[in-house]
Amino acid sequence: MAEGAQKPLLELRSVSKVYVGGTRALRDVSVAVRPGLVHGLVGGNGAGKSTLIKIIAGAEAPTTGTLRWRGEPAQFRRPADAVSAGIAVVHQQSPVAPALNVIENVYLGHGAGGSWLPSRRLEHFRRTCERLDYVIDPFERVSELSIGDRQMVSILRALATGAAMIVLDEPTASIGRAEREAVLRSARRLAVNGTAVLFVSHFLDEIVAICDRVSVLRDGRLVDEMEEGAVDEDRILRGIVGERLEAIEKARPSKAMGKPVLEVSALTSTTVRNPVDVRLRAGEIVGLAGLLGSGRTALLRSIFGADRRVAGAVTVEGCAVAARPGDAVRAGMAFVPEDRAGQGLIPEWEIWRNISLTDLGGLSRSGVLDVGAERRRAEQACTDLGIVAESIDTPVSRLSGGNAQKVVFAKWIYGALSVLLLDEPTAGIDVSGKADLIGLIRDLASRGAAILVAISDFDELLSVADRVLVMRHGDVVRDVAAASIDTSSLTAIVGGLQ
Amino acid sequence: MSGAANPTRESNASAAPSSHERHAPIARAAVPRLGSVRAAFRPQRAGVVYALVLLVVGLMIATAVRGQPAYLSVTNASNIVGQAAPYGILAIFMTVVLISGNFDLSVGSVAALAGAVALLTIDDIGTVGAVALALGAGLVAGTINAVLVQIVGVNAFIVTLGSLTAIRGVVLILLNGESVTAQSQALASFDAQTVAIPAALCVLVGCAVLAGAAARLRAALRAADGVPLDGFFVASVAVGAGAIILAIIAPGALTQPLPVWLMLALSLVVSLMLRFLTVGRNLHAVGSSLEAARLSGISVNRYKMVPFVLSGVAAAGVGIIFAGQFNSLDPNALSGTELTVIAAAILGGTSLFGGAGFVAKSVLGTIVLFTLSNGFNVLNLGSNYQYVVQGVVLVAASAIYTVASRGGNVRRRAGAATATAAVDGAGASPGQP
Repeated sequence: MAEGAQKPLLELRSVSKVYVGGTRALRDVSVAVRPGLVHGLVGGNGAGKSTLIKIIAGAEAPTTGTLRWRGEPAQFRRPADAVSAGIAVVHQQSPVAPALNVIENVYLGHGAGGSWLPSRRLEHFRRTCERLDYVIDPFERVSELSIGDRQMVSILRALATGAAMIVLDEPTASIGRAEREAVLRSARRLAVNGTAVLFVSHFLDEIVAICDRVSVLRDGRLVDEMEEGAVDEDRILRGIVGERLEAIEKARPSKAMGKPVLEVSALTSTTVRNPVDVRLRAGEIVGLAGLLGSGRTALLRSIFGADRRVAGAVTVEGCAVAARPGDAVRAGMAFVPEDRAGQGLIPEWEIWRNISLTDLGGLSRSGVLDVGAERRRAEQACTDLGIVAESIDTPVSRLSGGNAQKVVFAKWIYGALSVLLLDEPTAGIDVSGKADLIGLIRDLASRGAAILVAISDFDELLSVADRVLVMRHGDVVRDVAAASIDTSSLTAIVGGLQ
Repeated sequence: MSGAANPTRESNASAAPSSHERHAPIARAAVPRLGSVRAAFRPQRAGVVYALVLLVVGLMIATAVRGQPAYLSVTNASNIVGQAAPYGILAIFMTVVLISGNFDLSVGSVAALAGAVALLTIDDIGTVGAVALALGAGLVAGTINAVLVQIVGVNAFIVTLGSLTAIRGVVLILLNGESVTAQSQALASFDAQTVAIPAALCVLVGCAVLAGAAARLRAALRAADGVPLDGFFVASVAVGAGAIILAIIAPGALTQPLPVWLMLALSLVVSLMLRFLTVGRNLHAVGSSLEAARLSGISVNRYKMVPFVLSGVAAAGVGIIFAGQFNSLDPNALSGTELTVIAAAILGGTSLFGGAGFVAKSVLGTIVLFTLSNGFNVLNLGSNYQYVVQGVVLVAASAIYTVASRGGNVRRRAGAATATAAVDGAGASPGQP
């Protein structure tokens, strides 16, 4: 480990960020990243990690607060500024040019490596690999590589540019165990060689294993900072979870489940490779737990018919449903996609036109729109769900995340709803909005809907679900009652530890 | 483990803000009842109308200064509208295709194909058969475009660029590179036939439209939660008043060839369908966000494909009209039509990205383009400059639309940011240590 007396390489002082929609992503956050250390940045979904990285990378400007680089005030107006200062960001799935080979990717767009001479460049490449203690064929085409190796190519590239600071944004989220080791080892090696590493991860064991210092974000605030030697798993967990557990009380009245509503048997689709069976009863909330890329979204989309079905059957209340979203909707299914702005809503449309879109048949007379009825429904939805907006004529792009998500729910709850498929319904939504949405999900279940919900935040998932299906590599590997499991054991199962 | 291990807790955690949100009512007073009427007059909404007015006034002044006969005469206006009519019809359906989020470059070729088919067959199989065959050719062409774009998944620009070329080739093959003339005068007589609408009827229709608009105004002002007025109200007032004024001051203008009436009727019908029917709403949804529309249960294939088929059939109809103009057709007839038509739609404010557009404005855009070329003829400026000016007008119009709407967004954004900041500041709990 490096000495702690080093001056910070990058300092963020009282940085805040307010987005156009009014979402406060960061509030008064100060972080100092020192050379030679791996600095962990943790927080739940929507805690503000991504925003912080975007500000460091120059992709976004802070609303207030300042950045200092090597002790001098700095302003990164665009990503190129951050790059030329010496900051390299490696994203979850970094853009690499698949048609080029490894070495071409590593030296793409910059003259580093000393020379265009292939032999010298190769030499530089070898040395860079040695620094990471990593072996890869420089002439392999990147399209042939696994995601983990691509991740390493991105790290090599960051290193080859001579970056003084490397930001690893959830580098291990979608890669296998053995590759994870390589990435983690290289992060440590980078620090040993004097680079400042900002390491962002959801995997707390990784954080504990390799980070010297840790900053914890929650709901846009810096809630805890651990110095060297003080990094502690329980403390991290407390910081991340905070009072959110209180916000979403765990105790629920036990309820009687109704008759089976949704039956998915041997379903395969273009995205679900292995046959999946799922059964849901009326009033039941079933959680889908899994890591990024474990197939949760694919399963939800395939049940809804949004991804083309290959085999298997989906029945709702005993009736087979064809694999088309239109048929799914008519059968009483609803789908709340993860990408709210891109798939859940038409951002430039008003609240009222968004809400009525799923039920124009019911809100029209022989094909003629009844705008009055549509608007009354929107007014009703705003009252029922507590949507805060100037008026129902406000475009949904101007709503905060929580209010926009309520509009997505409002699209579905006024029809004949028997199955609700939810993909990360609470991602990126503030605490009070989350509590509202969780309450709404429970309310819909108590009115007899069968709900299948994917939530990455396991505390939240366990607080809302009656039963949890754990997915790994596209398979449902576990089916457990939510009451019989806690967050840490669920984390372990999902991570493949049990 | 984590929950139990957390002794510190703040009392203002979550219940307070959520109940605050729940009781916050929608501020009805904030709904500007007439605000969207005012918005309908903004340049980015009514730009094509202003352009037409400015152009006509400019040409009136220019002709007056040069001592030429008055520019705005019934004869000259009829001349412009008559020339524009086939293109206007194409612009209507081009707008529908553009709203659906696609592109149709093949309309000129399809029209030429239909015209050629009609002229080649009319002497053998009669008028009805020839017209049916020509329309059928348009239907087939439109369907092929639709299938290639939506089912096979090739980009619409490429597909219709291909059919633009290939169908022109079919026309050249069919006509053997020479122009064709029919003996039968049926098509020519259809094209030349004029229909006069009685002035009294026109006034009556105008009054009915105005009465409807007045009823709408009364309802909107009376009921607090009624449907607010918008650009459609403004347009209907303008149409109603325009019809009455026209019938009184220039009853001669109510005698027009059939294609003109066809254009107006189609423009009216398609406008009303897009606005008042669920199919219109769904079409806009599909064009705005394909995935959001699909996941809302809309059968997007239908809304992506039908516009192409309509466009093909409409292009065939226009081809028949065009064939009738001289009762003969050159194999290169109607080349470049697609660009004129798309230009007209853009002048009318149609988005090339789908989801937004008004067929009536596209028709006005067509009339602007033809007024422009008519002005060049009247002022004897030589048609060489015409294309330069058309091009400049097109780009300038898009620039105005883009800049104006961007300005609107910036203002709105600034407003929203201040509003949230204020709300946030008032409701924020004390910061954490």
